[in-house]
Amino acid sequence: MMRRALSLAAGVAGVALLLGGCAPSAPVNETAASSGDDVTLKVWSWRTEDIDAYNTIFDVFEKEHPGITVDFEAFQNTEYNQILTTGLAGSDGPDVPMVRAYGQLQPNIEAGQLDPIDDIVDGLDDIAPSVLAGAKGKADGKTYAVPLATQTLQMFYNKDIFKENGLEVPTTWDEFIALNDTLLEKGITPMALGVKDDWMMPIFADIVGSARYGGSAFEGEVLDGSKTFEDPDYVASLQIVADMKKYLTPDVVGVSYTDSQVQFTSGQAAQFPGGSFEIATFASQAPDLNIGSYQVPLPPDAVSPTPVSPAYADGNFAINSKSKNKEAAAELLNWLATPEFGQLVADDLNQFSAIPGVTYSNEVMQEAWDNYQKGEAPYLLLVDFRYGDPLGTAVLGPQIQKIFMGEQDAAGAATALQDGISQWFTPTP
Amino acid sequence: MPVTKTRRSRHTGITLSRRAGMVFVLPALILFVIFILYPLVTALSYSLFDWTGIVRGDFSVLDNYVTIFTQLPYKDAIPNAFVHNILLFVGAMVFQNTIGLGLAVLLHRVRRFKRFFQTVYTLPYLVSPLVVGYLWSLMLSPLFGPVNAILKGVGLDALAQPWLGNPTTAIWVVVFVTAWQWVGFPVLLYGAALGGIPDEIDEAASLDGASSWQRFRDITGPLLLPAIGTVSVLTFIGAMEAFAIPYALGGSAGNPAGATDVLSLLFYRTAFESGSSNAIGTSSAIATLLFLFIFGVALLMTWLMRRAERRLY
Repeated sequence: MMRRALSLAAGVAGVALLLGGCAPSAPVNETAASSGDDVTLKVWSWRTEDIDAYNTIFDVFEKEHPGITVDFEAFQNTEYNQILTTGLAGSDGPDVPMVRAYGQLQPNIEAGQLDPIDDIVDGLDDIAPSVLAGAKGKADGKTYAVPLATQTLQMFYNKDIFKENGLEVPTTWDEFIALNDTLLEKGITPMALGVKDDWMMPIFADIVGSARYGGSAFEGEVLDGSKTFEDPDYVASLQIVADMKKYLTPDVVGVSYTDSQVQFTSGQAAQFPGGSFEIATFASQAPDLNIGSYQVPLPPDAVSPTPVSPAYADGNFAINSKSKNKEAAAELLNWLATPEFGQLVADDLNQFSAIPGVTYSNEVMQEAWDNYQKGEAPYLLLVDFRYGDPLGTAVLGPQIQKIFMGEQDAAGAATALQDGISQWFTPTP
Repeated sequence: MPVTKTRRSRHTGITLSRRAGMVFVLPALILFVIFILYPLVTALSYSLFDWTGIVRGDFSVLDNYVTIFTQLPYKDAIPNAFVHNILLFVGAMVFQNTIGLGLAVLLHRVRRFKRFFQTVYTLPYLVSPLVVGYLWSLMLSPLFGPVNAILKGVGLDALAQPWLGNPTTAIWVVVFVTAWQWVGFPVLLYGAALGGIPDEIDEAASLDGASSWQRFRDITGPLLLPAIGTVSVLTFIGAMEAFAIPYALGGSAGNPAGATDVLSLLFYRTAFESGSSNAIGTSSAIATLLFLFIFGVALLMTWLMRRAERRLY
């Protein structure tokens, strides 16, 4: 009997082993610092696809800063959080880790794994506040990292399909509706959207609805408690999402995110509401695809004065509080906050730099960036409502799926969102 | 499965001293303690503390357990996911003990190409469940998938639907794909058990005039009971721990709208994707409860099967 019990225990212990993955390791005594003047900085990242580009970029840094060598290592994105957690807890971790932004950064800050950099790094004041917020501690308001990139959300469109059908980028809501109706009449799917993947839903909601509920102004009101997500303006923005269903593929609830990318890049759909991170994907999947982007025009009764591109910071570089090379690490972070590095991010990584004053040689990127400069808003649920459990995005995503299935209405989804985030969020008047 | 009661091997006559026996057991025991017992116990201990990231805070007794039963999203997500795990178990049991057993009996009686078909039925079992899941999700895609295309091609347009996007069909797709992948396992086990039943019994019953169905019901069936018990317990464990196929078909959130959520996905989300700084505490509580449930029910099932076997023979 005992043997049977043990073999059963062995069989079911997989769950516990899974948990072993996040086992905190005991702090190890720091060993003596390396001798000599030359310093090697260990930099960790989750961008395995950018290893070559980063090596090129850090070559520039090494040339300008003799005596410092950068050892860049990248790990699988999906495994990175666990690897970093273990690395920062031990003595063998990176000097300068790439860290997540906003709420996902807080566990590292709360555990005291990163050094505040407000007094160490120059140029932080030039960075947009909503982007820099992604590098701050929620509790103490200190800055812990230099933001790397900005992602903007907008509507991409297939220029060739627009041209063939005599369509133009809409500037008013009526034109936007007319455009989609015309596409429907011509038998072209107006928008490709992967409703089966819940995380894409809040992105779509902000692309079509942020200006309706009022973007940054609404953000302030929700944070100070004068409004909630049950506010009529927010509900109306979700109603716009519901109304867009007729412009999506029939059976869209079964379409995955990757399916929707193929739908757009293969020319089966005219538009793709998505993040700037799609630009590189589109370019590699369909190099001949002629794309542009625009901000969805102001819907009726919109609270925002202008159309907006919702945006958020994506990735930061920080200093490990256990690093033995803090001086060199500070030197590197200062360089990461310069327009010189920002331009390299734009040119070599094809990302929007968080540092102002950067130009983009890629036309699609420059167009999206110019639009963002004309009207910006926070990607609200990511920027402000990822600081507790459940995440705002994790609540709204499935709710919007239910809207598309016909199992939920806009008001019900808004209430569910408010109930969800109320588990941990308290407004600060 | 008889448990050897003496350490002395009847076949070789070699006698091991108690100490020598322990030495042989030791390596396995060390591995078991390091990789199984230790994580199990630590998971239990983690669940009793309050965590800030990876820094352990105060001893919180059962706070984490109270949280997962009283707070959103857990108080809704746990029952939802649990029901799906049970559906997976029931679905797999039905599939394996009808089609799986049927195939095994068929292969046992019609011995031609037995090996070939055994291999064919076991093939999906050899492919990673993640791969199986992704292949099925491609086949069921409403945009590019062949399943709907075939249905429409033969005029069954009404049946073509977003299989994985419709909450009422999505969980059944998970059940079906899981059963499809695992059907080779009971075919093998039942095949081996059938091979172990002496032909003489069957022949004797046949001479006495028992029909084919009577022979199956009164002879083969009862003699298969130990195999059915083993398959049931392993199926139960597999269904409660299901992760890879639900993940491949519906992502970590159990899309759409939690329709394919299972307990392991909920654990994964809580541990690695939640916004909670106490993720270790709550996820450990979920893991501990899941373990205790699986362990308890598996022991109970084993005990019941033993009792049933004893009554039969």
